[in-house]
Order: sequence, then structure tokens, then C-alpha cells
Amino acid sequence: MSYSEAFKDHIANPRNAGELVNANAVAEQTNPVCGDRVRLSLRIRDGRIEAARFLAYGCPPTLACGSALAEMLEGMTIADALKLERKEIVTAVGGLPSRKQHAAALAIETLRAAIQNSVN
Amino acid sequence: MRRVYLDHSATTPVDPRVVEAMLPYLTGKFGNASSVHLFGQEARAAADGARRQVAALIGARANEIIFTSGGTEANNLAIRGVCELAEPRHIITSSIEHPSVRGTLESLEKRGWVVTRLPVYDDGIIRLEDVRSALRSDTVLISVMMANNEIGTIQPIKEIGALVKEERQRGRRHLWFHTDAVQAAGRIAIEVEHLGCDLLTLSAHKIYAPKGSGALFLRRGVRLTPQQVGGHQERERRAGTESIANIVAFGTAAELAQREMPARNEHTRRLRDRFENAVKASIDDLAFNGDHKRRLPHLSNISFRFIEGEGLLIHLDMQGVAVSTGSACSSGTLEPSPVIRALGRDEELARGAIRFSFGKDNTDEDIDYVLEVLPRAVESLRALSPLSRQTIAAS
Repeated sequence: MSYSEAFKDHIANPRNAGELVNANAVAEQTNPVCGDRVRLSLRIRDGRIEAARFLAYGCPPTLACGSALAEMLEGMTIADALKLERKEIVTAVGGLPSRKQHAAALAIETLRAAIQNSVN
Repeated sequence: MRRVYLDHSATTPVDPRVVEAMLPYLTGKFGNASSVHLFGQEARAAADGARRQVAALIGARANEIIFTSGGTEANNLAIRGVCELAEPRHIITSSIEHPSVRGTLESLEKRGWVVTRLPVYDDGIIRLEDVRSALRSDTVLISVMMANNEIGTIQPIKEIGALVKEERQRGRRHLWFHTDAVQAAGRIAIEVEHLGCDLLTLSAHKIYAPKGSGALFLRRGVRLTPQQVGGHQERERRAGTESIANIVAFGTAAELAQREMPARNEHTRRLRDRFENAVKASIDDLAFNGDHKRRLPHLSNISFRFIEGEGLLIHLDMQGVAVSTGSACSSGTLEPSPVIRALGRDEELARGAIRFSFGKDNTDEDIDYVLEVLPRAVESLRALSPLSRQTIAAS
């Protein structure tokens, strides 16, 4: 498959990569079928995501979606973050073929798990 | 940006000498080799010459060469061609064949054939004892590749050939031996007489000729059912007007490969070994796939732990370096390379496998460049990986 420029940029220059040491919302989700993994750590204050970091293992769409998600989350309210859907991640990475959409689904799933795991 | 091509097992650039040899057959000498007139005769003579050149590469007779559209067609013709002469019986193969052999055998299985797939162990090589014990009274065909396309391991073809000969001497009449030599040709000296194979597959574009041309060696006296009918070409075994320019290119490339094989092998082996030693020194958590000695001189297959091959491939591609990976992920279903899995590697190492295949035109400067970008690419992917301990901590 050929990837978009936006996609390649996320791969070459991943945004917000790493792990927050003072996170208060963390989740790591694995796609049980292919083994792809996304880890998200968030620092949430007053209902808003102050900082977001991601780690990812798996095919390039999984890496790009993790990067796109971590980038868009910073500054977002929890309410808005919970409204995020797969298609917004897909748009942010410049589109994905249907057989690679699961990468965006894994990113959203990890986000929701992290918010659910958040400690106030 | 510098561009470095390290994917010569996928395809090779066409040698300018090959282009020069084939060009007249695209323009002035465009005749149909079946035509009686001078144009036809010119084409026929060119095909005959190329047939001799290709035959010489493997120590065959010219009339034992059937030109095809490529390796896949030759593998289909060999396997189906031999098997369709009989009622469904038994076939022996390895677990690391090229998809064109794998797929052909799977289609025969659907029609009642029984296929035994031999393991390759952690060195990527099958065992002769396993071939011997897999033999059944109704085994019709043994199809084992000469060298693997992903890890380059060289299979015991001569030993299997001797086993087949032994079986024949004991009175067995219907057992044929096919080998897919697409990766091996031009890189290992091949003598079909010495190997004892009945059918052998070749492809032109792996030896610096264009895509669209291949050949099947069919030992004199071995019968097969043509898969394409409706023409007398290739002695009734492969109908269709011959692509003379491609055939001429294949012949020229075969002659060059034969003549230059020692120099090409020495060159690619030196680059490959230099590359591997430097990678070993600069990157941790690696696994080299396939037997270190019994493998093709131009190929290196390395698994990088904690990362996935396609991500590394894209990183390298963005920096102008072309390599390949055997793993594929689609619709959320992972298909790690069956070849690497067959070595007993865990899923993570199978997913992190990259094939670097060197060519006659690669230079030391190419290797310098790859050695500059590869460790950085591995490091940046590992920094992202939740499986790695090298991840970035941020406050």
C-alpha cells in the first residue's frame, strides 16, 4: 500500500511519544488477533487532558494512529475526548484502507480505557 | 536523497548489456518465431540462441528448456503438468516454499492430492532423512526449492536427487523431482545432471533481465500435461507466441550470470558480511535467520526485537533504502512470515524480520549509508515500543 504524506510524517516524527512519569490515567490495549499494542499515558487536571504520551508496537498504521491520537488529545476536555471516534483518527493520519482501520479502533479503545482507569 | 536498493531477491535492475541485446527484437527484428519468412527465421534463430544460453547456465540440453512468462508459470507448469498425468496421489514438499509452489500445491490438495510439508528446523534447512521417511508408495512428486527466497538457505537438492535415483533403481517408476531454482540460479553453480532433478524452475528478472520471462527445465523423457494449449510453441508444451525480446534478454542475462558468477558472489558476499558484522556491533537484540553457512551469498535476514518489520521498512524507505519484510498485517489478522515461523522463532521475532538482499551494482558507499540510517531507524522505533526497555520517559 502507499501511505499519505501525513501518515509518513507521523511515522518519521511521532508526536508525543513516550511515557508520562506523572500520569494519572494509563492504559495499554492489545489487539488480540494481530498482537498490535498501544499504550497511552495521560495527565488529567480539572476535566482536561494536560499532557498525553503514547507508545505503540505493530504495523505502521498502529504507530501513526497512536501518534495522531496523542497529538490531538493535549488540551482536550475529557468530555470531548470521549466523543472522539475512529474516523477522526483515520482523517488525522491522511486516510487508511479498510483493512487497516483496526489500527484507529485500537487507538480509540486505548483512549477510552485510559479515561476509565483515571485516578482523580 | 541517496537511494540504495537492497531488494535484489525481489527483482534486479536490467543490465545495460541485456537491454542492448534485446532492443533489436523490439524494433527491426520483430518477427513471429512461427512465421516461415525471413522475419520469422530471425526470431526463431534468436530464441534458439537464447535457449542454448539458458540451458548452459544449468548444464541442460537446449531442447530441455521451456520458456514461460516467469517463475510462477514455470512452477505451475511443473507441478500441475506432472500431477495431472495421474490420479490424485501424494506429494512431498518443504514448509518454506515460494507462494507460487505453495499455492499450486494447495489447489491440488482441493482436488484430492495429499501433500506432506517437511519441517526446516532452526537452520532453515530440510533433512534428507525426513524426505526418505515421508516417501510413500504413491508419492508422485517431490518439490523442494533450491534456495529460499526469504532467508536464502540452500536445501539438500543433490542428496534428494540421489535418493530419487536410488528409488528408481529399486524399480519405482513414477516419482519425479522438481526444484524451484529462481533464487539460486546465477548465485550457485547448477548442473542438472549432477543434481538429479527432473524439473527445475528459473526466472529472468532475478538475474538482471526484465520481468515477464522464465523457464522450466524438463528432463528429456519426462512427460507433462501442458497448461496452456492452442499452439505448437515450445514443442507443444507451452502454447503462445514467444516473447522474443524477453527471451533474448533472458539468454544474455544467463550467459552473463554464468560468466560473472564468481565475481558477483565474491562482491555481494563481502558487502553482506561487512554489513552483518557492522549491524551486530551497532544494534542489540537481533537474531540472524537461517543457517549462516549454507545460504546464498547475497542475502541477509535479520529479526529486530521489539519492533515490527513493516515500520522499519517504511523508515528505511523514507530515507531511500529499499528492503523487504515477509510479514503482512491486514484486516487485523497478522500473517507473520511463514518462513521465519518455520524456523521456530516467536511471533515477535517473526514480525521483526527484514530481508536485505545485495546486488552486483551495490557499492561500499551504499553499505556505509545503510549502516548510518539503519541503527537510527531501529532506535527510533524501539523508543516507541511498549515492548522495549528503551522507551522515552517524559514528565
